[in-house]
Amino acid sequence: MHEVSLAEQLIGPVLAAAAQYGGERVTAVTVRAGALQQIVPGSLALAFEAVALGTLAEGATLTVETVPVTARCRRCDAEFEVEAFCFLCPTCGVADVATLTGNELLLASLELEPCESTSSTTSPS
Amino acid sequence: MRVDVVHNVTKLNDAMAQQIRETLREKRIFCLNLISSPGSGKTTILERTLDHLRDELRCAVIVGDLATSIDAYRMAEYAPTIQINTDGGCHLDAAMVSTALESLKLDELDVLFIENVGNLVCPVGFDLGQDVKVGILSVTEGEDKVAKYPRIWREASIVLLNKIDLAPFVFFNRTKFYADLEQVNALLPVIEMSATKGDGVSRFCDWILREREDRLAIRR
Ligand SMILES: Nc1nc2c(ncn2[C@@H]2O[C@H](COP(=O)(O)OP(=O)(O)OP(=O)(O)O)[C@@H](O)[C@H]2O)c(=O)[nH]1
Ligand SMILES: [Mg+2]
Ligand SMILES: [Zn+2]
Repeated sequence: MHEVSLAEQLIGPVLAAAAQYGGERVTAVTVRAGALQQIVPGSLALAFEAVALGTLAEGATLTVETVPVTARCRRCDAEFEVEAFCFLCPTCGVADVATLTGNELLLASLELEPCESTSSTTSPS
Repeated sequence: MRVDVVHNVTKLNDAMAQQIRETLREKRIFCLNLISSPGSGKTTILERTLDHLRDELRCAVIVGDLATSIDAYRMAEYAPTIQINTDGGCHLDAAMVSTALESLKLDELDVLFIENVGNLVCPVGFDLGQDVKVGILSVTEGEDKVAKYPRIWREASIVLLNKIDLAPFVFFNRTKFYADLEQVNALLPVIEMSATKGDGVSRFCDWILREREDRLAIRR
């Protein structure tokens, strides 16, 4: 159900961007999600398919690029990739580290079919 | 045609949460967002906490629930309580909280508790304008939930380990719990609690009083 609410949040910005770039149809959507979001890509794709029904993004394929978790040590300033959610500085061992990446949820890019490529149809209401 | 957008999906919610944060700051209200799986004891903890703080701070509650008012009735006995039905939605968002705030007398309030919808994943991603997130785990869920759902333990300012009275019966592995927490967020304070028996409630209330003082001092 996590994925359903994310899909609902995604569809607005997708359609807004499509409109802004004058697209006729959205064929692909790429999302960049931090590993801390613990998104199941297949579930998000399915949920997105459902919310996109009847919109310009109907039938668009959704791809999730996972952003690894990284952090910076507040004591020694080392930046490191967090593996297995272990937030301890590998250099000096302290726990006082700031998460740099891994929480984000970004709409990264869209694949659009431009308007002029379709000749026959008038836009549906 | 490919277009790069780079749009933060939670932008709208974040902006609204920031507005709530500013309103609460101006009114000098300390706000806690309670997050846990269904049934970990959020409402029971709040009942005990509200009762305990009754003479010290003016409290109110906003409670999110999929469809019922059961929790709101339980807490209304102790403090003004606003119920939000999410109609099946798995988390509260800033817009819902913003609407609920309109029904509270903010000038007569010191602390606002928000009981989120029971869910250990979705609510974490939605800023509600709170000062602190309180992560609650009950021993009956198992110690492995620290490693399995790390994000809440990263973002929480305190953990309440509830139903500690049941620890022996469910073979709760305390050593593993603390070892895993050590990896995810070693700086996180933990209060072992039994909300039904009342253990740990006064420690939690002391923490609230202290934390509130600290935040208000910084804001000045
Ligand atoms: N043994 C024991 N039971 C508890 C404790 N705290 C809560 N419970 C019981 O756990 C059940 C669920 O408690 P609630 O307070 O309703 O939990 P909740 O997190 O508010 O549940 P939802 O709002 O439905 O997600 C109730 O039957 C409580 O009596 C505790 O410390 N020990
Ligand atoms: Mg409850
Ligand atoms: Zn370091």
